[in-house]
Amino acid sequence: MTRKMKMISGAVGLALVAAAGMAIAQTVAPTPLSTALADGSVGEQADGYMGFRSAPSSAVRAEVDAINIKRRAAYTQLAQQRGVTIKEVAAAVGCETLAKRVAVGRAYQLVDGVWRVRKTGEAINLPDYCAV
Amino acid sequence: MTQLLLTRGLQDATRSGMKQMLSLALAASVAACGGCVRVQAPDKPIEINLNVNIRQEVIVSLKKDADDLITSNPELFPK
Repeated sequence: MTRKMKMISGAVGLALVAAAGMAIAQTVAPTPLSTALADGSVGEQADGYMGFRSAPSSAVRAEVDAINIKRRAAYTQLAQQRGVTIKEVAAAVGCETLAKRVAVGRAYQLVDGVWRVRKTGEAINLPDYCAV
Repeated sequence: MTQLLLTRGLQDATRSGMKQMLSLALAASVAACGGCVRVQAPDKPIEINLNVNIRQEVIVSLKKDADDLITSNPELFPK
């Protein structure tokens, strides 16, 4: 085996390991957050962030907090680009998540602060300011 | 000839003249305070409501941006 061939086989081997790792990552068991979303203890809020319908485990809280911090960073960037407030960007995203991303059985919170669980065939009563 | 404002040229602007004027001014201001409107700082902190109402036209204009933000950051919007 020449040195070049060794390098190539090494690279192929690394690629295979990486591909296997990605395949494993895609088929992992549900995370604490996905479980919490499914059982309705965590859900989307009209204000554009995720929230807790019931007291979360520390793992779930950490995951949701991390997501909300990243969301706020993304909202802040978009707000600056468009010359609007962060709150308005967040509310616009909240309209979209409530309209499209809350499946039946999932929890959501409207501007009244009340948590509801979406029932079969039920459309979410979006806030007035949401674009129709 | 220079006109002396403080004493209107009746006399030189002497220290005693100025003291007289000052005491007159003080007396006038004390007397005027009978009809003063007293402005008193409130004992409660002054709250300024900075909650800007969400503007519907802005939300409408942000609809596509919001959609794009969600689809381009799927990890921030777990289903």
